[in-house]
Amino acid sequence: MRAEDQARRVERAVSLVLRTGVGLSAAVILLGLGLLVAKGIFSNNVRIDAAIPYPRDLAALASGLLALDPASVIMLGLVALIATPIARVAVSILAFALERDWRYVAITAIVLAILVAGLVMGKALG
Amino acid sequence: MSIFLLEFAQLLFVSLVAGAAGSLLGLGGGIIIVPIMTLFLHIDFRTAAGASLIAVIATSSGSAAAYVRDRLANIRVGMLLEILTALGAVTGAFLVSRLAGPVLFVAFALVLMYSLVPTGQKIVSELRGRAIAQGTEQSAASSRIALALRLEGSYFDPAQGRVVEYRLRRIPLGAAIMYIAGLASGMLGIGSGVFKVLAMDHVMGMPIKSSTATSNFMIGVTAAASAGIYFGRGDIDPFVAAPVALGVLVGSMLGARILPKIAGVGIRIAFFAVIAVISVQMLLSGLGVGK
Repeated sequence: MRAEDQARRVERAVSLVLRTGVGLSAAVILLGLGLLVAKGIFSNNVRIDAAIPYPRDLAALASGLLALDPASVIMLGLVALIATPIARVAVSILAFALERDWRYVAITAIVLAILVAGLVMGKALG
Repeated sequence: MSIFLLEFAQLLFVSLVAGAAGSLLGLGGGIIIVPIMTLFLHIDFRTAAGASLIAVIATSSGSAAAYVRDRLANIRVGMLLEILTALGAVTGAFLVSRLAGPVLFVAFALVLMYSLVPTGQKIVSELRGRAIAQGTEQSAASSRIALALRLEGSYFDPAQGRVVEYRLRRIPLGAAIMYIAGLASGMLGIGSGVFKVLAMDHVMGMPIKSSTATSNFMIGVTAAASAGIYFGRGDIDPFVAAPVALGVLVGSMLGARILPKIAGVGIRIAFFAVIAVISVQMLLSGLGVGK
């Protein structure tokens, strides 16, 4: 019975991670859109995907955020969204560990490793 | 009206419609929004795919919580197969920058046409006034791999008024199809739900309800695997991705909650026809016809 309770708790944790991630990122994206309006970017007469620069790595993202650059704020929301399923996988490792299902701890760790390797290689191989 | 505002409004609107149409047809928003962005709004394929992946993550994560709670999604099966979809997605995300545009257009058109098959079958059976056969014959036999990895499950089916139990088989073939699903996702910016359901339902013998729920549960991770690479490469354009993600998210919620109450088979056929035409246009455009 206690194992069942634990499994339930973990399911709730997984749900919470997903909901919080989506909610937070949507809020940050909306904030960024508000800044776009405030800074008058909507009245720019340029194509949406062409002329306005946006941060392309975490360092540029950080400095953009400090300057309250709208593109950087939106990007923060998008990065949070990408991180949400990755966080879900990380929480699942904990879930299987609580169930003492070591085989699935290993399987889930492999998935997390592939996700992280993809991020790192994406940067390196461009 | 400035060009920026006009294009922003266009993206928001078509994403809203794509999300609604997708959920009504049982397709992801990505498979509809990418052709519209590339064909009609003339957005670069990689930028379109990156924005679509963001939308896929938003819709999948938003709905996965409910599936986990209802225990329809099989978390073990999902985690195991995510190894393959994540590997496929990483491969696909690298391939997209090395393949020429026309190849991507043709590949997309073929995947889109294939994705329309189950929807078409459903519409035909609706017109004939009977339910489609659900899933494949359940097999009591379970393969050795399935036993070792505890690939079984059960859920309560209110329609049948009983608990449905199942065991899986043909894991290697199912896993191979999952790799292809991941490849298509990373290359084309879609969730590849149709391939995932094919692998679990037709090949591995999982009941269709669990297959669909597990597929939805997995899609977010598959999309995150390639979206991370798109971001690392600087291919996520926030000005494009923001309206697309919000539009598809809201559209699919409206589609799931409101449209079934007001939409008959007629609107389904209309959406189906429009998307079928778009898939042909995508194919022609990839083959260089009509330019």
